Amino acid sequence: MNVLLIEINPFVQETTPISLGYIASFLKSKGFGVKILSIGQNTSLSRSAFHEIIHSFKPALVGFSAYQRIMLYIIGLAKFIKSIDNNIKIAIGGPQATFMPSAAFAELPDVDYICRSPGEITLLGIAQAIENGTPFLNLSGVSYKDDNDAVLDTPELEGYTDLDRYPSAYLNDVFDYSRMREAIMLTSRGCPHHCIYCYTPHAFKHKISYHSVERVIEEIRWIRKKGIKSLWFADPNISYKPSRLIEILDGILQEGIETEIWLQTRVDLVTPELLKKMKRAGVKTIAFGLESASERVLSRLGKHITLDKVAEAIRLAQKHGIEVELFTIYGLPYETFEDAVKTLEFVKKNKVKIMGNTNSQQLQIYFGTHMARHYEDYNIRPLNNNRPAYLSIGSQYETDHIGRNELHQIQQLWQANSIDGGKRIVS
Amino acid sequence: MIPAFNKIYIILGKHDNENLEWVLRTLSFLYSYVNLTSNIYLVSENLPDSMPQVERIQKNINEFLSENLFARLYVHIVHPTPQPAMNGITLCYQYLKQSTDKFDQEGYIHQELPRLISLPVLVPDDECKPTQLIDLLNVLKNSFLLPSLYLNKDTLNLAKDEKLLSLTDKVYYGIGNSRKMTDVVYNLFCQDIIDDSLDKLENNDLSMTDPCPDSLIISAQNCNVYSCMEAFLKNESLAKIYGIHSLEELLAHYYKQDKSKRDCLGCREKVIGSSVDLPKSLDTNQKTGALLYHFGMLRQESEDDFQAVKNFKQSLELSPIEETDPIYFRLGLGYTKIGQYDQALKAFNSVELGYQGQYFFHFYKGLCYFETGDYVTALEEFSKALQSETQHDDRIRILIYMGTCFNNLGNYEQAVGELEKAKETAGHVKEIYNTLGFSYFMIKDYDKSIENLKMAVEIDPFSAIDYASLGSNYREKGDLNTAIGMYEKALALDPGMTSVRENLERLKKL
Repeated sequence: MNVLLIEINPFVQETTPISLGYIASFLKSKGFGVKILSIGQNTSLSRSAFHEIIHSFKPALVGFSAYQRIMLYIIGLAKFIKSIDNNIKIAIGGPQATFMPSAAFAELPDVDYICRSPGEITLLGIAQAIENGTPFLNLSGVSYKDDNDAVLDTPELEGYTDLDRYPSAYLNDVFDYSRMREAIMLTSRGCPHHCIYCYTPHAFKHKISYHSVERVIEEIRWIRKKGIKSLWFADPNISYKPSRLIEILDGILQEGIETEIWLQTRVDLVTPELLKKMKRAGVKTIAFGLESASERVLSRLGKHITLDKVAEAIRLAQKHGIEVELFTIYGLPYETFEDAVKTLEFVKKNKVKIMGNTNSQQLQIYFGTHMARHYEDYNIRPLNNNRPAYLSIGSQYETDHIGRNELHQIQQLWQANSIDGGKRIVS
Repeated sequence: MIPAFNKIYIILGKHDNENLEWVLRTLSFLYSYVNLTSNIYLVSENLPDSMPQVERIQKNINEFLSENLFARLYVHIVHPTPQPAMNGITLCYQYLKQSTDKFDQEGYIHQELPRLISLPVLVPDDECKPTQLIDLLNVLKNSFLLPSLYLNKDTLNLAKDEKLLSLTDKVYYGIGNSRKMTDVVYNLFCQDIIDDSLDKLENNDLSMTDPCPDSLIISAQNCNVYSCMEAFLKNESLAKIYGIHSLEELLAHYYKQDKSKRDCLGCREKVIGSSVDLPKSLDTNQKTGALLYHFGMLRQESEDDFQAVKNFKQSLELSPIEETDPIYFRLGLGYTKIGQYDQALKAFNSVELGYQGQYFFHFYKGLCYFETGDYVTALEEFSKALQSETQHDDRIRILIYMGTCFNNLGNYEQAVGELEKAKETAGHVKEIYNTLGFSYFMIKDYDKSIENLKMAVEIDPFSAIDYASLGSNYREKGDLNTAIGMYEKALALDPGMTSVRENLERLKKL
C-alpha cells in the first residue's frame, strides 16, 4: 500500500520537510510505499502533473502537514485528490492539527483524519487500518469522521522517548538530495518551558526527547557525503543539555566535517566556552528568542529571561564571530505601542541586523498554546468570530493596550528598518 | 514530463469575439498546465478599450480559482497611462477590484495573501508628470492593488520622484525608448530572464543552458501561441514550428521535442548583456557580473572562446575589484585560445597575488610569451610553473615547451636536458622524441638524434617531417642510401615538402 505525504507552502521556497521525512522513513520500515511531495513557491508542479502523481502512485492514504496559513490549500488539494479517487483517505497532522477542534470536520469535507499524537505511530495506525480494510477500526491518537459522517475522538498515543527508535530520514534516503540546499535536522523534540505563546511545550507535555549523539553524527556525516554543507538545527533548545551539544560539536570537529550551521537556543543556555566551540564547529548563525524588550511584557510571558542576559548572549556570540538573529514578537499581551518600539530599539542598539528571522512578526495565537486557551484572561479580542473552525485566532485580534491600526504601524516600522524588506524564514 | 508554466503573457488586440473566445478556450486548457503559483500578464495598448476582453478573462480566471483552491495567480495588467485616459483607467480598476473582492475576503479569513492578486504595471509616456500618476497610484494603493511602473529611456526621470516611488511596488526598466506593447512585453520578459538567471546563480542551480522560466506568449491579435520571446519576435509560433493546431497535441509535441531547442544560453547572454546599462543597485550589478562570469565559463567549456572573452570583459566592468582575479585569469585563457596573446598577457598581468604560484597560471603566461617569441620570459614562467606541484601530463607539456624555447634560443644542450627529463617522466610522447631529435642534430650527435627520431616514427609512422629529419641525420653521417630512402618516405607522405625534394635531388646527383 502506498502513502503520499505532502507539505505545501506556496509563500516560501521549497524546504526539507523533516517531519514528513521521519514519518516516511518509519512507514517504509513497516513495509509501506511512501512518497514525499514538498511544494513551495518555486516548485514546478501543475494541476495535471499533480493528477499524474496521484494516478501513477495510487496512494491509499495522503497525509498533509497542516499549518494555519495553508489550510485553504490543503482543503483544495484534498478536494482534488478525492475527485480523482474518492477511496483515497486524507489525514492532516502537524502543529495546526494537534489541537484543532473536532468540529472542524464540518468545514473539512474531504479530510478523514486529524492526527493528534506523534506522526510516525499515529499515521502507521491509520495506514495499517486502511490496509486491513477497516479504516476506522482500533485507531488511537486521531479524531476521525467515518463513512457515516460521525466524528469520533480516540485516546492519545505516546511517542518513543528514545528518538533513535525512529529510522532516520537521511540515512534511509527519503529525500531528493539533488534538490536540497539545506538539511534540516531535529536532534531533539519538545521543550520543558512554559512560554504562553508557544505550541511546542504543550504539544510535547513539557518534555524533551533526544537522539543519541552517535546517530546525529552519523546523519551529519551522511548528509555531508551527499554534498550538503548547510545544516539547520530545528531543535527548539539544542543546548538544553550543554554537555550533549558539546559532544555533537566535538564529533563534528573530530571527524573534520566542514559545515555551516544555523541553530536556535535560549540566551541562558550559552556560555563563552560553548560559543567558542560552536564557532569552531561551523556555527554561522545563532538565533535567540527575545520576544519583547519591555521588561514589563517579558516578565509575563513565562519565558524567564532578562534583557541583560539577552544583551550579554548577543555580545558573546558576536565576539566569537557568530551572526545573531533575534526572534521578536509584537502585539503581545499587555504590550503598548511604546513597548513594541522598545523592542525594535533594543535590536538596533545591540547591532543585530534586521533581516531574515530578526524581522519581527505579530503574535500568532495558535491552537494548543496557553494564549489560545486563555485569551480572554489577557484581554485579547478576536476580530473575526466567524472564522472557520479549522483556524485559530492567529493574528486577527486586538488587545486592551494595542489596536489594529497600531499593530499595522509597528509592522511598517519594522519593515522600514529591515534590510531585506521583512522576509522572515521561520514563522 | 508534464509541463508547468510559470508565466503566460496575453497580448490583447482590438476586440474581436472570435479571437476572444479562442483566448478563453486556450486559457481554460492551459490552467491545467500552470504552476500552482503562477503569473498571467494581460497586455493592452489601451486599457479602457480592452476592458470587455479583460473582464471576460478575469471572469474566466475567477472560475478557475474558485474551482481549484490550491491555485494562486498573480494577474499583471500592463498598459499605458495617457493623461486623457486616466479617469477611464481608474474606473477600470474600480470594476476589477469589485470582481476580485471575493478573493480578498477569502484571504482575510485565512489570514494570508489572497490567491488572486492584481498587479497593475503602468507604462507612462514622456509627457507624463509625477503628479498625474500619483492620483492613480493612490487609488490603486487604497484598493490594495500593488502598482508597478515601467520606465524606459524617455521616462527615466520619473524614477527621481521619491513620492512616486514610495507608492510603487516595483519599477521595471526597459531598454530603448519604445512604448509599443510588444516591446514592453519583451522587456518584461527580459527582466524575468535576468531574475531567473540571478536566482539560479544564487541557488547554485547553474543550468543556464535550460530554457528560461517556463512561459508562453499568447497573441489575441493572431490567435497564436509562442514558446518564448525570441520565438514571438521571429513570429515562430508553436503551430508554425510543428505544423499542428490542436493545443493539446502542440504541448505534448513541444515537450517531447525537448522544448524549443533554441540557443537559450545565447538568449540569456544577450538579455543580460543588453541590461548592463539599466539602473540597478550595486548589489544587482555585482551579481550580474558574477552571472556573466558564469556564462563565460560555460562558453569556455563548450570551446566558444570568442563569446567567452566577450562575457568575461563585461563581467569585469561590473564585478568588485576583489573578485576580478579569476575573471582576469579566465579572460587571459580565452585570449590565449583565440590566439590574441598580447591581450592574454595583459589580462594575466592584471591578476593579483592570488594566482601567483599556481602552476597553470605560469604555464599559460609562459605559453603566451612563447607564442609571441619572447622565449627568455617564457622560460622564466615555465620554470615557475615547475616549482609547484603539477599534474603529470602538464609537467610533460611544460618540459617540451621549455626544450623548444631552448632550441629556439640556440641553446641545444639545455634543450636536451629538459627534454630528456620529459622523456624520463613520460615515455612514449612523439613531441619529445622529435624535438630531442632536432636538439641532438643541432649539436651533431647524429646517433642520438636518429635514436629519438626512430622512436617518433614508431609512434607516428605517418610523420613526414620526422622521416625528413632522419634523412638529414643519415646524410650528415654519410649514409647516403639510407638518407635517400628516408627522404623518399617523407615525400611519399607529404609531396609538398620542397626542401626535402631539393635535398633528395642533390643527394641523387652525388
